[in-house]
Amino acid sequence: MIVRVGVIGLVLLTAAVLQTSLLPFLALSGFRPDLLLLITIAFALTDGLLSGLRIAFVAGVLTDLLLSASPVGLTALVFLGVAYAVGTARPYLAPDSGTASILLAIGGTAMGVAGYGMLAAMLADDPISLGLVVQATLVSAIYAAFLAPLVTAMVRGLSRQFPTEQGGIA
Amino acid sequence: MYNRRRARALLAMLVVSALVLVTVDFRSDGTEGEGPLGALRGLASTVLGPIQEGLSTLVSPIGDGISSFTGLFDARGENQQLRAQLESLEERNLSYEDVLREDAELRALLEMRERNDFTTVAAQVIASGPSNFEWTITLSVGSDAGVRRDMPVVSGDGLVGRVIQTTPDTSRVLLAIDPNFRAATLHGASGEAGTLQGDGGSPMIFRPLDPEIELDVGDEIVTSSYSNGVFPAGIPIGTVSSADRDAGLLTRVVEVRPFVDFTRLNTVLVVIHAPERELPGLEIDPNEPFTPPDVDPNAPQLPDAPSETPTDGASPDGTEPTDEPTTSAAGAG
Repeated sequence: MIVRVGVIGLVLLTAAVLQTSLLPFLALSGFRPDLLLLITIAFALTDGLLSGLRIAFVAGVLTDLLLSASPVGLTALVFLGVAYAVGTARPYLAPDSGTASILLAIGGTAMGVAGYGMLAAMLADDPISLGLVVQATLVSAIYAAFLAPLVTAMVRGLSRQFPTEQGGIA
Repeated sequence: MYNRRRARALLAMLVVSALVLVTVDFRSDGTEGEGPLGALRGLASTVLGPIQEGLSTLVSPIGDGISSFTGLFDARGENQQLRAQLESLEERNLSYEDVLREDAELRALLEMRERNDFTTVAAQVIASGPSNFEWTITLSVGSDAGVRRDMPVVSGDGLVGRVIQTTPDTSRVLLAIDPNFRAATLHGASGEAGTLQGDGGSPMIFRPLDPEIELDVGDEIVTSSYSNGVFPAGIPIGTVSSADRDAGLLTRVVEVRPFVDFTRLNTVLVVIHAPERELPGLEIDPNEPFTPPDVDPNAPQLPDAPSETPTDGASPDGTEPTDEPTTSAAGAG
């Protein structure tokens, strides 16, 4: 269990570094993929609700610590909502379905990015425009469709190597 | 069923924890490095900074290749816009005088730029912000190198942003395209003041104080030293890309295309010190004798000088009124 926690922590840290160092080069019209959100979705889909929620909280706080303008905890709230939605939908999906994972990645990313955009728009001094939220949601969702198979395969491999003690919630 | 209840309990606990974090961060204003969460942010930057710096050096050539490929998607739109600009320029039928005037203005701007004698620190861009709604970069220099909050950051092309957070080894910069970024600016050609705000994407928003100002596509927008001098005057920001005027609006919104390509920032300069421009002093000859103005003490009193006595009968200094007629100051001599 400790090894699993350590490995997942390392994965999240690596994702955070990639998110801030490499993925900005992939930006389309200034928007880029949200790797930490994708990893959260993949864990919620592979390991179930409990594991998904825990990872969502850690990934969200990690993202918040790398941000400056928004308060710590805001991204964690959004990630928790996405992980809960994906984890709840999981029992109704065919296990190991590639299409389902891609569709959930697209839907979850759209929900997460749009949710964060709306929360930020409510809390920010200079509100983010609706057009900006829509653009970011679309671009992130498109990127999610391309990255989902890779991220899900990695998380499934990790989950097989370091399984949860109780398994996911079916 | 037991597990589902457990999941809901965990969700509730984590949501409450997140809300507590949000509240604590709001109250302590953690963005400035104050409070426990500000310190945690600094710690995250300190720990991840060296890794990001190493990775940035490693992936920079790969990233340049990738961004060249993704830039193709933007190229078509930019091409159409440039064609439209070319057509509008051809239609303008510029006169010789107009070209001379524009030349003089551009020379003045260029001279102003060259006069800036900045003290700067060079920095490598080691990371970008992780969110799609916050446009920030992390630099490889921090407070140990003299970088402080609110210092301007420039590249060879123009204004990049301002420092919003520092640790000993790294600093975070809010890019000029972030919606939270604001700067006092000037329309280069006319000197008309206004404010500039980021809008997330490439074009920024310039709001001139005078909405009736004459603006043309291609006009340059530069920083102004208003707003307590956060930015030195004369740093180029971008050119006007859309100067349409909406009738009936009290404020005018002008799109500005930045000179800086924010997706390809590698090395920037943090302006540690910008010399203040001194106004030329008054030239007074100290040897010139003082000659008082000619005043004739016997000059006749003005005939109808207005009385300063209040109409309610009280004298200006609050004393009781007398029966003597009041005199004006002009006739007191």
